[in-house]
Order: sequence, then C-alpha cells, then structure tokens
Amino acid sequence: MNLVANYDWSLVWEHRSELLHGMLTALEVAAVALVISTAVGLLLALARMGKAPLSWLAVIYINVFRGVPALVSVIWVYFGLSLIVGISFSVFQAGVIALVLLYSAFIAEIYRSALGAIPRGQREAGLALGIHPVPVFARVILPQATKIAIPNIGSMFIGMVKDTSTFTVIGLLEVVRVTQNLNSTTFQPFVLYTAAAALYVVAAFGIDLLFRTIEKLLATPPSGRVARAFSRRRRKRLEAVMLRLESASGRT
Amino acid sequence: MRTPLPTMNEPRPTASPALEHSAARPEQVVQLEGIRKSFGKNEVLHGVDLSVHQGEHVVIFGPSGSGKSTLLRTINLLEEPDAGSVRVFGVEYGPGLRKGGPRGSAMELRRQVGMVFQQFNLFPHLTALGNVALALRTTKHMRRNEAEDRAARALKQVGLLRWAAHYPAELSGGQQQRVAIARALSLDPKVMLFDEPTSALDPELVGEVLGAMRSLAESGMTMVIVTHELNFAREIGDYMVFMDHGLIAESGPRGFLDRCENPRTQQFIAAVL
Repeated sequence: MNLVANYDWSLVWEHRSELLHGMLTALEVAAVALVISTAVGLLLALARMGKAPLSWLAVIYINVFRGVPALVSVIWVYFGLSLIVGISFSVFQAGVIALVLLYSAFIAEIYRSALGAIPRGQREAGLALGIHPVPVFARVILPQATKIAIPNIGSMFIGMVKDTSTFTVIGLLEVVRVTQNLNSTTFQPFVLYTAAAALYVVAAFGIDLLFRTIEKLLATPPSGRVARAFSRRRRKRLEAVMLRLESASGRT
Repeated sequence: MRTPLPTMNEPRPTASPALEHSAARPEQVVQLEGIRKSFGKNEVLHGVDLSVHQGEHVVIFGPSGSGKSTLLRTINLLEEPDAGSVRVFGVEYGPGLRKGGPRGSAMELRRQVGMVFQQFNLFPHLTALGNVALALRTTKHMRRNEAEDRAARALKQVGLLRWAAHYPAELSGGQQQRVAIARALSLDPKVMLFDEPTSALDPELVGEVLGAMRSLAESGMTMVIVTHELNFAREIGDYMVFMDHGLIAESGPRGFLDRCENPRTQQFIAAVL
C-alpha cells in the first residue's frame, strides 16, 4: 500500500480536463482516420481483386505500408510529404494522413478476405435477377462483407488510437504529450503515466463495446435492445403493407 | 463410355397439351444450338442443342457432371458458352455476335428469365420481403412502398406472407426456396429456370417446394427444370432430356421415362426411381 500513500494521485484529478482533452484529440484523429481508411481500404481491396496493372499497384502499396511503424510514418508525412506535395499540413492532418497510409493497407486485407468469404451464389443470384453488377455489389455483396469485416475493423480502430501516442513527436496535443508536459513540471512520471495508460484502457474498452453493439445491430436476425427497436419499426411498416394488400383483395 | 450412342430423340409433339387448340405451333422461346463450354481444359458441353417452346415444361436429368446445370445456366448467360448460339425470344446472345456481347444485353435477358438455385442463394441480410423487393427497387426503380406491395403479393402467392418480416436464417429450407421462387417471379419473367431446386432440402420439405412449382406449371409458365425428382418430372414434364457426359443422350415428350430405348437412360432411371 506504499503505492497509494507515497505518490501524489491527486495530480490526476487536478489535471483531469487536460488529460481528457488529450484523449479526445487522440480519438478525433483516430476517428477521422478510421472513416477515410475504411473507404481507401475498400478501394484497395477492389483494386487488388481487379486487373493487371492496378492490382500490382495495390499489392505493392499494401505490402509496403503494412511494414511501416506509425512513428516513422507520421514524421515522414509531417516533414517529408508536406515538402513533396507542397502543402504544409497541420499536426492533426498529418496525424490523420499517417494513420490512413498505414491502416488502409490493413483494412484492405480485411476486406479482401471478407469479400472472399461471400459465396459466389450471392452474386449469381443478384445477376440472375437482372440487377446491374454495381447495385449487386453495393446492395448484396458489400453489406455482407462489411458485417464480416466490422469486428476486425474495430480492432484496427483500437490500434489507431494507440498509435496516436507516437504523434507527440510532431507536437500533437494528445495524451502522451499532455502527460509529458505535466511531468516536466510536476516530476511524477509513475502517477501520470499510469493515468495515461488507464485512459487508453478505458478508451479501448469503450471502442470494443461500441463495435460489439454495432455488430449486434447489424446481425440478422436482430439481437439486442437497439436492434429490436429498429425491427419494431420494420414490423409496423410490414403490417401497413399487409393491411394494404388485404384491403385490396378484400380477404384476410 | 467415351463415344456416346447417337442421340435418340422422339419427335416433339406439334403442340404442347396446354395449347391444343392453337392452329400454329407454339413459338420457340429458347433455342440453344451447338453449345460448347469448357472449364479450363475440361470440356463440359460438347455441342448441345435444345429448344423450349412457349408454355412447355422441359425437364433435364442425368448423372452428376453430365453438364445439365451448365446447360441450364447458359440460358440466362450465367455461363457464357465458348461456341454456339443462344437465342431467347428471337434475340441472339451467343458468343461472337456483337448484339449479345456487352453487359447490358445479358441484363435484359435476365429480366425475362428467372432462376431458382439449388442453394437458394437468398440474401441473408434482407428479410423475405426485402429479398423479393430488391430486384423491383433496383431494376424497375420502384419506390419502396410499391415494391413492398408487389413483393407481398408474390409472397402471398407462395403462401409465405406471414413470414415476410423474417430473415432467411429464421426460415426452413423449404420456406427459403419458396421465397427464392417468389423472388424470381417478382419481375414477371416469361421463362423460369430451376437448377436442382430440391436437391439441398430435407426429404420432408421437398413436397412444399414441388407444390409451389406445380402451381406455377399449372398457370402456364414456361419452365426448364434440372432435377432428380423423376416422379415429379413424369407429372408435369412435357419434354424430357437425358444428359450424359456433356451431350443429350436421349430425349422425348411425355411418357418418355417409360418408353426410352437407350440402355444408359434406362439404367439411370432404374437407379433413381
């Protein structure tokens, strides 16, 4: 119990708003990066499954960026890419771009295996109904593939949040940066970094819960309270349809 | 059995029983000529001819690997033949002809020809109603309410209206296949293709699907059915085709199952019935 007595835990409460703000920044960067990498990852997966020169480019991209660490990526983007492209990125933008470069590669592989898991008969049934290949993909294949991909994408999101910790080097005011600043004035690294770790754990927990709710929402048949609320609306609409049908035919 | 016996075809009746009173011969709805198809180095169809007339029920049967499913799938171009002519409602869709080439035409063909699969292939993320309404919304661009009304009507036709809000995972195999039939019928096709529709079903569920097919047949739909259910074939089939090793070994009109001459055909029928 020396652990509790000899350290100044009140520091954490005192600086709670700065620490939480840091977490919020980390979550914002990761969330924006998640949305963009999911879109880019899907395009990469489609390119990978496509024809000759495009598929090679996709393979090269995926294999290169799966191997680059987040720290290297963010420094390269902030100092290097901005020179190449000629635009000076803000630290937030650089962070997002760095995450997107890396995680779109991972998500591309997730989608590739998810798309491969859809039975061929699904596409055939869609085409056999005379539906154009694009809506067959958008309305039949993609929803099913996304359902398969969602748990893995959730894990990726947790990884993104953790990777934001390396963005302190470019000055992004996220959790680690805040902790470093506080530490330089209070000299209580154990307390502060324990608090930082706890913040990440809570965030990971929350994200896990969020994605599990999303999975339950998308499950068919629907399970869980939120999903059942949606299905109540669906059933009401169906009852309206059946009522119209019965009134039209005049029979029950 | 590399060299098959010459095709023994009984002459087709000039009119199917349903059209006894028409003076003219019923029009040829589907005409396949010289269909060849290979998968890699394996030639599955060695030049097959088949024609289907308006209102006719054609049953194709035979051992596995004989090419019957492949032949059926040529009719709606799910398999593109390497050679030969695929003519449906007078329009040519076969290889080499510019008219049938681009994707658009295949889509037009599939809106007139419906298909029911052995594995049902219902869309698991949509309800039964959603499954049936999807094609109406995407191809006919119907508004959601109108599409759902039409879908509900189609489900009522197969007796599954009360299951409209259920997902395929909540339905039995027989119910799923009946939803699949309703889905294929939702676009009002003029020809219906059935690829071993009951082969994946428990024996006790086969009857309900055959019942749905029977009422469809009685309503005058042109049907091409690949099946092992030879008793059912005997009941509704107007023209029977026995395929073996990528060729039509023998074929004939009603009563063919009892009158066939090819020993291979007799052997197969004896084993199945």
